[in-house]
Amino acid sequence: MTHERRDGPPTTIAGPTRDAGQPMVPDGPIDPRAVRVGVAASARLEGDPAITVSPPPDAAALLPHDVDTGLVLPLIDGAATAVRLERFGDVRAGLVESAAGPPGGGARTDLQLGPVRVDPGHGTRLREVVVDGWRIEVELEFERRAVLRERARRGAGVAARGGPVEVRAIIPGRVVAVSVVVGDSVDAGQQILVVEAMKMQNELRAPREGSVQRVGVAIGDTIEVGDLLVIIH
Amino acid sequence: MEAVAVYSDADATAAHVRTADTAIRLGPSEPAQSYLRIDALVDAAVASGAEAVHPGYGFLSERATFAQAVEEAGLVFIGPPPAVIAALGDKLAARRIARAADVPHVPGTLEAIPVDRPDQLEAVISAAAGIGFPLLVKAAAGGGGRGIRRVVSADELPAALLAGSREAAATFGDGAVYLEREILPARHIEVQLLGDTTGQVIALGERDCSTQRRHQKLIEETPAPGLTETERRRLHAMAVRLGMAAGLQNAATVEFLYDRDGAFWFLEVNTRLQVEHPVTELVSGIDLVVEQFRLAAGEPLSRRVLAAADRAARPTSHAIEIRISAEDPARVFAPAPGLITRWVMPAGPGIRVDTAVEAGDRVPPDYDPLICKVVVHAADRPAALARLRRAIDETEIGGIQTTLPFHRAMLAEPGFVDASALATTWVEAHWDGPASRARAVRVALIAAGLAELGGAATERPSPAAAAAEAAPTGADAVVRGLDGVGPEGGDRAWRSAGRVRAMDRWPR
Repeated sequence: MTHERRDGPPTTIAGPTRDAGQPMVPDGPIDPRAVRVGVAASARLEGDPAITVSPPPDAAALLPHDVDTGLVLPLIDGAATAVRLERFGDVRAGLVESAAGPPGGGARTDLQLGPVRVDPGHGTRLREVVVDGWRIEVELEFERRAVLRERARRGAGVAARGGPVEVRAIIPGRVVAVSVVVGDSVDAGQQILVVEAMKMQNELRAPREGSVQRVGVAIGDTIEVGDLLVIIH
Repeated sequence: MEAVAVYSDADATAAHVRTADTAIRLGPSEPAQSYLRIDALVDAAVASGAEAVHPGYGFLSERATFAQAVEEAGLVFIGPPPAVIAALGDKLAARRIARAADVPHVPGTLEAIPVDRPDQLEAVISAAAGIGFPLLVKAAAGGGGRGIRRVVSADELPAALLAGSREAAATFGDGAVYLEREILPARHIEVQLLGDTTGQVIALGERDCSTQRRHQKLIEETPAPGLTETERRRLHAMAVRLGMAAGLQNAATVEFLYDRDGAFWFLEVNTRLQVEHPVTELVSGIDLVVEQFRLAAGEPLSRRVLAAADRAARPTSHAIEIRISAEDPARVFAPAPGLITRWVMPAGPGIRVDTAVEAGDRVPPDYDPLICKVVVHAADRPAALARLRRAIDETEIGGIQTTLPFHRAMLAEPGFVDASALATTWVEAHWDGPASRARAVRVALIAAGLAELGGAATERPSPAAAAAEAAPTGADAVVRGLDGVGPEGGDRAWRSAGRVRAMDRWPR
């Protein structure tokens, strides 16, 4: 139920204004816990309606737990829109797009939220939302994750084109195993080293087949995102 | 009375199978191997000890050979006699019956065009010029909008006749085609008839089914808005005359086009119960299916039915039906079968829901996408519209796309609300599904983004569900490796950076 009729074109791809001067995907090492960029550019996204929702600048903890608040960031310039989602149990909710006002007030669009699923390929989260009878499958991803995924994909793209491949760290951590030495032949997907991060061990695998030209780290090394780990020729 | 259901493999767990006293399998999902098999249906009826067969709507419900086979097996066919079905099923024969009964038919030819006689082409073109362009080439064995070609000028006519005839022969097994004037703009108004074995035929009111797309009805109502009592009496009388001339028994519907000058033009007769029969039931107070059974048993039209027919020209209430189909109204109503995950239906006074599905059911791709009819009944049209708006607000369907957004939008359309824009061509000319959907997308993206910011950690999929997924490969695998990291899960870590991106996954 739309309590107040809304017309006009929909907002499409949005990015944060304060990062407007920054490249869409930053070059060089980044700290995954401090990523502050806008919408990552990817071919898959072009032309797709997408928006970025940001937490409110003030303390959301003051609000009742069944109200989620945030800001919708505009595409180029202009002010971010304050939005509020009032939850009525697990499924039913109402979206209020007017800036301020107490819960229960403002023009509210009723909707139903489906359960969250995980996309088997990208690991992004999927949620069905039904608005005015339209069933919309929304793909959700925190920005810092999207940025890391974009960096990983660019690395994979290089690998596919042939030539020497620099395998760089895409997570920070400590090297706990190195499975190859210079001169080894490796197959695509073969384990080359293991990095421990956040108490979990993560295998790094060869992006393509070839011979190991250089190993840049040793067991016990602490690595940062972007550090050169291995070169495969 | 006991009920025997028949089903195909696609419907083995369907509601009609569960609720019937006995259920008999006809065959695989393909209609040609199950619901269209006359021999299997008659065998099932005989084997179960059934006394009568109700053909419903769709499939064989208007097939004279099926009615014949049922009768030859010694059972009662609940519908008009086979000969009447055959006569009215031939659109040319039906037009000739209309003319004999002094019922104006849509202007055009009354005999099949001699498409195999080039020497008569000149006469055909001259007849076409008399009818006027644009006109329609129609298959005599067609109906329900099938087997129609639109011709804009005389030079297109010979090719259209040949192609139409070939297509009709291939589709219906009968290549006869005829010409008919295209009446635009027009409303589709049809009359419900009941007839008994004594030859008595009555009209139980009319239905306006103008809101349709490619001859598929989307919204139906009774009474037809704006008709005067005089027009209504004239319309009902025409339909009754035609029914009596055809020797109609049991139930049938006579379809007319209603033009801007107030003229009614006979279109065709459906010799079966219509999908939209509930609106007539609500306003007339007559259970049409019960009456079909009584009439098929040889009873005369009941006093209740005769009284309802007397009231039909002066209706005192209004009913509207919307057809909820598993179709995507943003993609030219393409079929959208799938698993229904959420199913909340409206209720309350003046609301009727005809459906056979529920949450957890899968809408199969094999058959018609109609899954539910929501019908409202109120004192007058404005009250019925208000009730329908409320009913649509209460309706929640998840897992599949349905036509619900279309119906919601129509109830906000001024030309529909005041009935001034009712026309068979309205939907194709004015409905902009993608624009309607785009407004909803914005709301959905923001809502899902906010829910993700606010409550993502508590709504993670179960480990079992995550384990069941296919293993990701390549670049995604590395990032996926981080998702489950840390004591509180990776999404907590992702969230610490704040913003979430939401996008529409609609395939395009």
